[in-house]
Amino acid sequence: MSSDPATGPVTRLRAASLSLGYEDRTVVHELDLAIPDGRVTVIVGPNACGKSTTLRALGRLLKPKGGAVLLDGAELARIPTKKIAQSIGLLPQTPVAPEAITVADLVSRGRQPHQAWWKQWSADDERAVTAAMERTDVAALAERPVDALSGGQRQRVWIAMALAQETDLLLLDEPTTYLDISHQVEVLDLVRQLNREQGRTVVVVLHDLNQAARYADHLVAMKEGLVVAEGTPDEVVTAELVREVFGLESVVVPDPVTGSPLVVPGAPWTPGEGGPGAGGAAEAVEDASFSSAP
Amino acid sequence: MSTATLGKDARPARPTGPVRPAGYALVRAGSASFLLHRGAALVAAGLAVVLAAVCVAYLCVGERFVPPGEVLRVLFGQDSRSELVVGTLRLPRMTVGLLVGLAFGVAGALIQTVARNPLASPDIIGISQGASALTVGAMIFGITSYDVLPYLSVLGGVLAAALVYVFAWRGGLHATRFVLIGIGFAIALRSVTQLFMTKGDYLVAQQAQIWMTGSLNGRGWDEATTLGWVLLVLLPGVAWAARAQRTAAMDDDTAVALGVRLGRVRLGLVALGVVLASVATGAAGPVDFVALLAPQIARRLTRTAQIPLLCSALLGAVVVVAGDLLARRLFSPTELPVGVLTAAVGAPYLIWLIMRGRTGGKA
Repeated sequence: MSSDPATGPVTRLRAASLSLGYEDRTVVHELDLAIPDGRVTVIVGPNACGKSTTLRALGRLLKPKGGAVLLDGAELARIPTKKIAQSIGLLPQTPVAPEAITVADLVSRGRQPHQAWWKQWSADDERAVTAAMERTDVAALAERPVDALSGGQRQRVWIAMALAQETDLLLLDEPTTYLDISHQVEVLDLVRQLNREQGRTVVVVLHDLNQAARYADHLVAMKEGLVVAEGTPDEVVTAELVREVFGLESVVVPDPVTGSPLVVPGAPWTPGEGGPGAGGAAEAVEDASFSSAP
Repeated sequence: MSTATLGKDARPARPTGPVRPAGYALVRAGSASFLLHRGAALVAAGLAVVLAAVCVAYLCVGERFVPPGEVLRVLFGQDSRSELVVGTLRLPRMTVGLLVGLAFGVAGALIQTVARNPLASPDIIGISQGASALTVGAMIFGITSYDVLPYLSVLGGVLAAALVYVFAWRGGLHATRFVLIGIGFAIALRSVTQLFMTKGDYLVAQQAQIWMTGSLNGRGWDEATTLGWVLLVLLPGVAWAARAQRTAAMDDDTAVALGVRLGRVRLGLVALGVVLASVATGAAGPVDFVALLAPQIARRLTRTAQIPLLCSALLGAVVVVAGDLLARRLFSPTELPVGVLTAAVGAPYLIWLIMRGRTGGKA
């Protein structure tokens, strides 16, 4: 599954003192991050902590302001983008499908990096697209237009497209947003299955700390553009960390199903008390204004 | 373990749906392979037939009716007493209309693709207005020769588009900003043109007005040959664009993630569209709405995920040739400029398609 440190490279993708930002605002400060091969890495953190920004940079959607993202030791900015697309697949947070496109058409566009103007369809393309659609259970929807699907189905179609790209590395930016709980679990189960059965390296940005703890092999907690903690969920998810990163009092107990750490928010808000409730609200307002800045 | 839930809904017998993108045919030539959208190919074939019929009708109808048999004799180079009317008078003008229509059809499709906006077309984002401003300006200042004016209008269109592109660029090309800045330029350039018109004397202003509506009156083999060569030279570019459109239709992040050099692809598509629109405008003036209508009608007919280039080109040609036929005959002996009628031909059809369509008013 994961590559042996003695024989193979442990990390194909890493960030070296990576600084990221938009216009004059720096969001991520000199971040060092190694993505372990063959594992599911989950990046968590509060709103506007820079987790999605980091993922976008790992997938060369955002140019670094300083430092670099390295793929197999080479700076991402120096590798032709099509070449990168043969190694890194990326599903953005809110991908937009062309209107009226069918499921099979969209999934087959994942083959773009393996095609050329004069080679628009090969046996490999056919095999990869079939496999991706079957694995994500969308083969039966092949001829349906994507805009007629439910949210959960649509997300599986997008994942199928990224799978058809057949990359060793797969980056998913909040793939569970806008999905109800059962579809969230479905998508995350699929992610884990892809990792376990095919040994793909997966990096997922998630909002939900408990889901992160449940599905991560390697958990990265970020706050204000810095990595606060990283390691196995057992090492990382503690009451102190939750307080430090999310500013939330909580109790961490073992998940009754998987045994992974489960965060149970403590100290509920009660009327007439300023306490943590008021502090949390103020912080939420701050976050909103921060993330909505252009 | 969570894998238990996966076992529960273990897939039944593997569904064997079509794998090659549904609706596409695969064309192989040696080691090369091409995907062909079946629906688009079918519609294109149908449109080619319609276009041929409209062209024959164009050549038949006029001050003197020439039966189709005679028209075909002329077209195939056999002796005919209608040689003068059909071959010398009607055919060159029709050919210009045909080529202008093809060019506008492709140009509109490319610009709408890059702008991701069905309202973006050369006559909305400033290309036609740039061509008009320079051409009308030249007319007012005494340059009225049709040997020079077409080149000026090409220059005007390309310059306006370049300005829009540069002003819209901010570390990348944002589709909405591109369209809005284009509209801004269009308005500004239109008022410049108006300024020229009020400055010039009455006769020149009238000539300018007719040019600005788009007219095929007096166009002949010279324009047709130039246009034909330009289109032929740009043909490989159009073939490239047909494929590049596929990825430009996705959102930016997804396209880049799929390894597309988005900046270059967009610049290539826009440049090609602008040159085509400018050259067509140079030949016939800014024939309104063809570039706007043709791609949208084509897309609704084929139901493809991107605008089908060939269908859009053929539709452009049908609209212009049919429009000019009506323009010549509707109020005969008075001839209207073709631009007056292209909109009248295309717009009701598009409105009907949108009203009937499942997908409503979306792009």
